[in-house]
Amino acid sequence: MENGVVRRRRRLTASLLLVAAVSLAATAGSLARIAGVETGGLAGSPAIELLKARFRRPDAVPFPKANPHSPGKEDLGRTLFFDPRLSRSGSVSCASCHNPSLGWSDGLARAVGFEMKPLARRTPPIMNLAWGSAFQWDGRAESLEHQARMPLTAPDEMNMTMEMVIERLVAIPGYRALFAQAFERPDAITAESVTAALATYQRTLVSGRAPFDRWVAGEESALGPDAKRGFALFTGKARCASCHSTWRLTDDSFHDIGLTGDDPGRGTFAPPSVVTMQRAFKTPSLRDLRLQGPYMHDGSVRTLDDVIEHYVKGGAKRPSLSPEMRPIALSADERHDLIAFLSSLKAEPIRVELPQLP
Amino acid sequence: MSRNASPRLTACLLICAASWVGGGAARAADYEVVIHHAELEETGIKPKVGDTITFINHAEISHNLYLTYEDGRMETLDTQIPNSTKKAVLHTAGRVVIRCWIHPIIRLEMTVADAS
Repeated sequence: MENGVVRRRRRLTASLLLVAAVSLAATAGSLARIAGVETGGLAGSPAIELLKARFRRPDAVPFPKANPHSPGKEDLGRTLFFDPRLSRSGSVSCASCHNPSLGWSDGLARAVGFEMKPLARRTPPIMNLAWGSAFQWDGRAESLEHQARMPLTAPDEMNMTMEMVIERLVAIPGYRALFAQAFERPDAITAESVTAALATYQRTLVSGRAPFDRWVAGEESALGPDAKRGFALFTGKARCASCHSTWRLTDDSFHDIGLTGDDPGRGTFAPPSVVTMQRAFKTPSLRDLRLQGPYMHDGSVRTLDDVIEHYVKGGAKRPSLSPEMRPIALSADERHDLIAFLSSLKAEPIRVELPQLP
Repeated sequence: MSRNASPRLTACLLICAASWVGGGAARAADYEVVIHHAELEETGIKPKVGDTITFINHAEISHNLYLTYEDGRMETLDTQIPNSTKKAVLHTAGRVVIRCWIHPIIRLEMTVADAS
């Protein structure tokens, strides 16, 4: 056990660091006011640059040491992603629900599963997951590798076992060479390599540069005045950035936002005493929103106007309702500005090269 | 909602003055860990069984921390709104992982020594 002098010195050092951090990290709302974002003034000031920095795109995609990127693994992952033979029926691939032409989702309020069975939740878009810290709407997967196995083996979805997946892949001439190239060893067709390749491909799916990114990078004209006012609201009065933070516009946090429905969400995996996890779902990214909807984990909200109205009202009052959910008054102009900001997060779709399946 | 920097500075100074109780190895100590937005302050503390950790929420959002001991036992603290504190008494030696139910990105690991 360290002695008191050392401890006090450490506390002092930590405190000085903390003071420095706090002085740098004044709240988003006050920063917005300081920077005069609402009026368009003080562009380029240190305060607004600090605020922008919280949303700045990273330079590189992170890949875990346990599953580093390689071109061969990415190619294999893409091939598997688009291959319907990974489903029991042989007719459904990952891309059937995560359709790149529909923003890597399916455009439906709720997903359709095995034998056309309607599922309880909306298909989540899968962009920018390389930076994720929890996966699935309820966060039950801690890595993309872990997540990749779930839809393959869920009886309501692709309805396979990993043994069946391997059996099918081994029987398809051409996959042996793709796996060997990706993993640089023979007999590489295993459950682990299938999920590693799928996870690697998913990590390469990164949103393009949106007008908001160009503004953050210093191109002042990339955003109109309404979108800038919307950003000020988003980070200030409307408190959206309490959860929709970081460059992805999500911190992967879980909240009951007071929607109707009895899906327990993350509450399935949390002790009953953790009341706030009942009916809690992951905060979705707001990048590349399909502006025609639907929205929320259950697709129950049809338009962005209705989304904003939900937050204005604050959601259904119940013990599990997130403490972050508080009613707020927003004028028609403010609602317009918020949507203008959200629209500025939409980039040109990334180019997708469809694989030739072996 | 947003707050001015000055109350934060005051809070920081209060943390600077935080007390450590006990001088002998067998006496329980109190530690403080500050929660920033979605991050637990890395303190480098080396607590022992019986010590108390007080979590201080300096974020503007609520948290719900839980501790997982090496033997799999889990202790969940209640929802912690901004500017509130929660305490946990460390009851088992070994590795402890502190996470947040609301924010999975929050993670702090520490090793708890035997009380002796």
